[in-house]
Amino acid sequence: MAEYHLTAPLTDADVQKLKIGDIVYVSGKAFTCRSRLQKYIFDEKNVLPFSTEGRNVLIHNGPVIIKENGKWKLMSFMPTSSIRFEKWGAKSVDEWNLKMIVGKTTMGEETAKMMKEKKCVHVSPRSVSPNLWIDSIEVEDVYLYDELGRIEAAWFFNLKDIGPFIVDIDTEGNNYFDKLDGEIAKRKEKALKELGIDENFKFTKLY
Amino acid sequence: MIKTELYEEVLFQTVKRGATEISEDVREAFTKAIEKETSLDAKRGLRVTLESMDMSAKRENPLCVDTGWPIFYFKVGNDCKLEGGFVELENAARRAVARATEKGYLRATMKHPLTGYDPGNNIGMNIPDFTYKFVEGDGIEISYAAKGGGSECFGGTRHRIVAFADGIKGIEKFVIDSFVASARAGAVCPPSVLGIGIGGTANVAANLAKEAACLRTVGSKHPDPTFAKIEEDIYNALNSLGIGILGGGGDTSVLGVNVEYAYTHIAGIAVATSTNCMIARRASTRIDSDGKVTIMKSPMWFGDR
Repeated sequence: MAEYHLTAPLTDADVQKLKIGDIVYVSGKAFTCRSRLQKYIFDEKNVLPFSTEGRNVLIHNGPVIIKENGKWKLMSFMPTSSIRFEKWGAKSVDEWNLKMIVGKTTMGEETAKMMKEKKCVHVSPRSVSPNLWIDSIEVEDVYLYDELGRIEAAWFFNLKDIGPFIVDIDTEGNNYFDKLDGEIAKRKEKALKELGIDENFKFTKLY
Repeated sequence: MIKTELYEEVLFQTVKRGATEISEDVREAFTKAIEKETSLDAKRGLRVTLESMDMSAKRENPLCVDTGWPIFYFKVGNDCKLEGGFVELENAARRAVARATEKGYLRATMKHPLTGYDPGNNIGMNIPDFTYKFVEGDGIEISYAAKGGGSECFGGTRHRIVAFADGIKGIEKFVIDSFVASARAGAVCPPSVLGIGIGGTANVAANLAKEAACLRTVGSKHPDPTFAKIEEDIYNALNSLGIGILGGGGDTSVLGVNVEYAYTHIAGIAVATSTNCMIARRASTRIDSDGKVTIMKSPMWFGDR
């Protein structure tokens, strides 16, 4: 398990060396995205009002940001669950040329397939620690604030060594959590057996 | 008569505390989890989470970016008199939530379920949610819980009717399978506080599960040994799986397992689960009839636990 400190915009070479289970810290230019933005672009056919060239790290996040003395102030930040954006995952990776998605709960097969094709990784946090991150994130700009609201707008962040994140989908399409699933399933079978519930247990069908 | 000005300020301070400070029992459970964790990666994750939580109290910022569904529980003395009555109590609670949102203690998370309209203050149809319990006395205990989207949306909250033929084994199998599925890749933000409701109609079981997850003191036991045994069995089983913090592997997958029950119909047993995320946010404050305000360490919603 290696540890990397990367600076965005990321290159193919930056992300191709990452393997599932590796730890990464990220610096540089990123933008936030939640479902409302993807729906607005991909379903409602609007044009993304900024270029992702030079800003190819997407963070699934709806930050808490308030305006204080005329300036944006980041109150809280925590990557949010990516899996519910699976519907637009492959399209986002493809059309926005993403090299990294920072999220939680990993993503599904379609996105992983596109990540392999386009050389992109998904990374997840191992802690819920907004206070260790907010001081290292500069809010640069915001797009689609009026259209999508404060949480779902696309915020431009400049990151300073944000992490640690664990690589859970690598550019070969491997998934860290798929690997864990097998180990957990085996232990679950043992735990159930200890409670007197054997593997042939069937619920009485009521509906 | 408890004045509006007083309970409105208490409501606001309780929301603020719930959003920005962890409870003592949650902190203790975290400290224990850090001590016994054998995965270095998970240990670091738990440690920095606790560090961040402690910083939130000082900085007065949200413990997590998702500040959750705003939920109030009122334990009301039978002789409690409030200026403006309970309608005004609920209005004051709405004003407190809006104020906490404006101050940045809460994120404007609540939106219209179909249009996606964001009122910007977390106030809308049937939100915040209010639950009442009536007891002897003339004071009121106000609890605020923030139920996170992760813990609620990814299968941590569900129900099933289990046949009497399947009994405790059926209940335990359903709960363990559900939790494992919902904790995959950290979806429900484990280590969780897992609430389980057994009996009643499905909604009664679901409410008991939510109250068990959000309001029970972490580390407390059900006074009935049969239910305490189910709590212990499920706690030990889930903590043997290696799910760990945010599902990335580790020794602690649940901080607590709390069961509450109701009598049920001879036809079947409603079983419901509700997971609360690792931060398990809540705060409680008591107001006596003479206006004395006491910060409570734990909601004590179920009396002694």
